[in-house]
Amino acid sequence: MKLDITLPKFLRIGILPSVLIALMGIAFVTAMARYAFGIGAISDLSYSYPWGFWISFDLFTGVVISSGGFLMAGLVYILGIKEFQPLLRPSVLTAFLGYIMVAIALLVDLGQPLRIWYMMIHWNHTSVLLEIGICVMLYLTVLAIEFAPVVLESFPKLHNIAHLIHKFIMPFVILGVVLSTLHQSSLGSLLLIQPTKLHPLWWTPILPIMFFTSAISVGMAMIILESSLSSRYFQRGLETHLLEKIAKGLPIALGVYALLKFGELAVAGELDLLFTSGIMSVLFWAEILIGVVTPIVWFSIQKNRTSNNALLTGAIIVLVGMILNRFNVSWFAVKHPDPLFYMPTFMGNVDYFPTFPEVAVSIGIFAAGIMAFGLIAKYFPVFEDELPAAAHAGD
Amino acid sequence: MTEIKHHAYLFDATRCIDCRACMVACSVENNIDMDKTRIWVAGLGITGTFPDLQRGTMVYHCMHCEHPDCMSACPVGAYTKAEDGPVTYNPDLCIGCRYCMNACPFGVPHFDYDKGIIDGAFIDKCTFCPQRIYNGQEPACVQTCPTDALEYGDRDELIAKAHERIAAHPDKYIQHVYGEHENGGTSYLIISHVPFADLGLPDLPETPVNEVSEKVMAMTIPFALSWGAVLSGVAAGVNLYNKNKEEAEKKAEETK
Repeated sequence: MKLDITLPKFLRIGILPSVLIALMGIAFVTAMARYAFGIGAISDLSYSYPWGFWISFDLFTGVVISSGGFLMAGLVYILGIKEFQPLLRPSVLTAFLGYIMVAIALLVDLGQPLRIWYMMIHWNHTSVLLEIGICVMLYLTVLAIEFAPVVLESFPKLHNIAHLIHKFIMPFVILGVVLSTLHQSSLGSLLLIQPTKLHPLWWTPILPIMFFTSAISVGMAMIILESSLSSRYFQRGLETHLLEKIAKGLPIALGVYALLKFGELAVAGELDLLFTSGIMSVLFWAEILIGVVTPIVWFSIQKNRTSNNALLTGAIIVLVGMILNRFNVSWFAVKHPDPLFYMPTFMGNVDYFPTFPEVAVSIGIFAAGIMAFGLIAKYFPVFEDELPAAAHAGD
Repeated sequence: MTEIKHHAYLFDATRCIDCRACMVACSVENNIDMDKTRIWVAGLGITGTFPDLQRGTMVYHCMHCEHPDCMSACPVGAYTKAEDGPVTYNPDLCIGCRYCMNACPFGVPHFDYDKGIIDGAFIDKCTFCPQRIYNGQEPACVQTCPTDALEYGDRDELIAKAHERIAAHPDKYIQHVYGEHENGGTSYLIISHVPFADLGLPDLPETPVNEVSEKVMAMTIPFALSWGAVLSGVAAGVNLYNKNKEEAEKKAEETK
């Protein structure tokens, strides 16, 4: 007789989900400690460094890696390239979850999380942060509307609503693209108010344009990444022929970005800073070489655009470089006034380095996002080539 | 005292003896916890070689800028700039985003990192003692200063006074009134015998640091509307083109 020690079916979870749940648990406990004892209790943030890992990772990185959603919606609906349809739903879902993650992270980072809705009624129209807040709130709504049909289709009684949304989707898509353009670029504008704090290699009046251009490249890379990864995890086919086209566009988008970056430095007469700024020059070249030069070469090779592994590798290279850019702009290249002069030593730290709980919160929120993507992709027709009935319970 | 049209401070670094009475007076007047303060006094220590020894002290205060960057940055408008000088903060609106701390080139606003969600974590900064100045008194820090290193008065008068003092002792002072034009002008003016950079003051242009970001923000709505119009136009055009193409294909098939 076979010994039956297996758990009941609903309790059986795979290794990946268990790890994700554990990470979420750690983040939850950390966040509770933050709410009880204050931000200083779990983080290294100080008077000199009011923004740290949470802003660089959760806000700057979180928003930019969610750019695949508006990119795909724009390509499929506005430019009418219907062949990209199979990539649309996963991209919109990633964006939707991405922005929810951003919002959750901000609820940890804000001093008064319960007042986040104040942004809806108290407007200071010169504030870049207000624009980002409003855009993100509206865009979350738009993404929910764009994604709703996927959920509604699973319930036969709600098909009518799904059809209705589908019929009137265009205004929402256009609104979504406009909102995305605004806040993707505004994340760059957020740094415009720090001309004396952000290193001149990065500070430029055209920061918003640079942020938007790089967001397009990141969106392309994210579409490749999420298609490859989900094709592996869910063991489904990969739309290589579609990804190939995106991979072809990447060197162009990155080329425009590189032109802007170096062109701006040349116009501002700051080209010498490329070699004379010590560690800042190194960081600048690192983001350019990893995020721009390498992928341009990589995706210019025909062979790399058709192989699944090479596509994934290239996408990861783009993301690493571009995420380094976001960290540079929002953290590494920001020099706050020397706190030694500003405050007695008992008041604040001179340097900033994220603490373990700080990073744990971000990782936990990220894990929740992956978990949510997995669950939704499993139970709803996110990938259009599979029917909801085909989703099998239990791993 | 004559009527004050534009409240301002004048700090003379040569007179400061690093006694920190202003810090204490401020905390007492405004009921600030003793481990926090709205005024920071930074001693530079003793510099130079004997016998030319020199010491510098900086009393660091909210600069009460004429075009405050904290106010420009705050998403919910928790900051106000009064017509007559003071920049004030309203905790009832604050969401705790700390963007003002990033925006301020002087690093003035500071935050309750030790407060949880129940106490509420707020920004704190100098308020210019409105309870005193609007009742004919000097701010607490000024009143308590034993050496008149901190003075209070009308901005224009103080600027004139500062220039007079510099002109009277050209060997003693650096020929500049910090805050007269820096960052678009501030209501905390500084004169000093050591370079301003040594006192920890940033080298700022005459335009406020929020200039570029405010210009970009002003373009947001027009840009959003025109970008939306362009996208709608493209979408309509593509739609029409695809429809015509489909019809043409249909016709071609029918005629076959």
